[in-house]
Order: sequence, then structure tokens, then C-alpha cells
Amino acid sequence: MIGVGKIKQYSNVLDKPLSRGRQEVSLSAFAFLFSELVQYSQTQVDNIAELERRLEDAGYAVGARVLELLCHREKGNRRETRLLGILSFVHSTVWKVLFGKVADSLEKGTEHEDEYMISEKELLVNRFISIPKDMGAFNCGAFVAGIVRGVLDGAGFPAVVTAHFVPMEGQQRPRTTILIKFAEEVLRRESRLGG
Amino acid sequence: MIVCVAVVGHQNNPLYLQSFTAADDALKLHHIIHCSLDVVDERVNNPKKSGPTLNETFLGMLYPTENYKVYGYLTNTKVKFLMVTTDLEVKDADVRSFFRKFHAAFVDAVSNPFHVPGKKITSKIFAERISGIVKSFGSVTAG
Repeated sequence: MIGVGKIKQYSNVLDKPLSRGRQEVSLSAFAFLFSELVQYSQTQVDNIAELERRLEDAGYAVGARVLELLCHREKGNRRETRLLGILSFVHSTVWKVLFGKVADSLEKGTEHEDEYMISEKELLVNRFISIPKDMGAFNCGAFVAGIVRGVLDGAGFPAVVTAHFVPMEGQQRPRTTILIKFAEEVLRRESRLGG
Repeated sequence: MIVCVAVVGHQNNPLYLQSFTAADDALKLHHIIHCSLDVVDERVNNPKKSGPTLNETFLGMLYPTENYKVYGYLTNTKVKFLMVTTDLEVKDADVRSFFRKFHAAFVDAVSNPFHVPGKKITSKIFAERISGIVKSFGSVTAG
């Protein structure tokens, strides 16, 4: 029985019980790694579209693996076949595992039937990044967009996912929005299933 | 006694095939796996009743042949695990726990950054783990 404030002293370090390990990675370690990834990609490409594509491809590989891992960890044994189901899965479960919290909001686009938006006040990956003026509308959130695309593709919902800055009044830094545009067949399947 | 396990990708491409008998009918086992893919597709596309059964990962016994039984399991990414066994009496719970361990080993193999999704799984560690799981399955249901 361990009393409050008392720590059991182990005479031998080999007697200490094995800890489960911290379930988190330090933010600074990830920030360094991500900044190196962006810098490395920058030396390999000639223009901004290529850079965005490289980051997205890197995220796509992560997304595919995250999907497999989460489906195994979820004890629910359920496979998402509905659009809203997979979107809320991405919005809460995937975000929680990757960034430690659920995404700020999930909205349906008003202009087109097949557009949905996940927005975040400040993406974790962009915390220590500021875009120089000559890069225009580039957003390192393309990495996160790639992750979302990997998850959706693996689950059977092909989509085009992009990241955008959306300026908000009253806030200094613009909000980041991940725009998800589903492919035709997804909408057809959804209407067939009676959505 | 499990005689064969297989992992099939979402376009029905084989990702991993392993048989555990010394006999030469490995080809026959591969044929059985191939046929059971049709049963899996049928279960996925034409559910008996819509609703919860549409989403289940464990597909249960696919079909019995003369002395084999085939069990299936479907992951969220349409990757199918198939298992051929010669046991006459196999408990449902045992098969489910077998597939859980199988799924864990599969997730670890896919998390390898050098693994290309859609190509065959070439990791030796994965093969060893699968052999270990198959062996422990046999000892649980014996007796």
C-alpha cells in the first residue's frame, strides 16, 4: 500500500516494474522533424504545387496506416459505410489520436453537394511555421490534408482533399480549413444506400 | 488444425499466403482460398438484412468443403483475412480471438514505412508471428 507522498524505493533498478511508456510524442520533436521534411521537399522541387503534392503524398502514407491501426484498436468491430459516419470518424477519432483533441468543427459546404469542411483554429503542424509572402497561398496543412485523404481512400471514399487559409475577422491569424470533395461514385453509393 | 491462412487485398490481389501442412495439396488450398473470395464478395455486396450486419468485421464461416472449413474476416480497408481449418468443432470465440491477433500482426506489418500498400508482405517477423499464432490456436482447441 503506497501512502500519499511516499514513493516506494527500489534498491535495484531491475526490480522496477516496466512502465507502459508515454503515449505522447513531444511537440518539439515532431516540429523539428516536420520542418526538416518541408525543407527537404523544398530542395527537391521547383515550384509550389510540387511541394504541396509531396507533402500530401507523405501524409497519404500516414493516413493509410493510421486507418488500419485505429480500426484494429477500436473494439467496436464496425466498418464505416456511410458518409457521415466516416466524416465523424475522421473528425473525432483520427484527430484525437493524432493531435490530442477533436477538430474544431465539421461543416457541409453550401455551394456543392459533395463538399465538406473540417476547420481548425490553428493546425498543430503549422504552429511553428510562418509562410513567406512570396509563397502565396501555400499551406503546410497539405500534410494533414494528405492524412485525411489517406484515411478516406483506405475506407473506400475516394476524395480530393486540400488545405486552405480562411481569414477571420477579429483574429490575427487566419483559420485553417481542410476542404474535402468526394468523388462522384461516393455520392451515388450514398444515395443508393438511402442517405 | 489450421492448414492455411491468407491475406487478400481490396482488389482481390494476394498479399500473403501461407500453408502449414507438409502435404503437396498446397495448390488445392490456394484454390479453396480463391473460391471463398467469391463468398466474401457476395456477403459484402448483398447483405441478408441491411443495418448492423453491413458493418461487421468478422464474417464467420464462409463455407464447408469435404473436410475443411473456411473462416473470413474483413477489415475496414477491405483487406480480407481467410483461414482454412480441418477441425470439426471450432468455437466461435476462438476464431474471433485468432483473427484479432492476426489483425494486430497485420497492422504492425503495414506500419512498416518500407511496405508498399498493395504489394506482398515480405516481412520475416510477420511470418514468424503468424506461425506463432497458428501454433497457439491449435493447442487451445485441442482436447
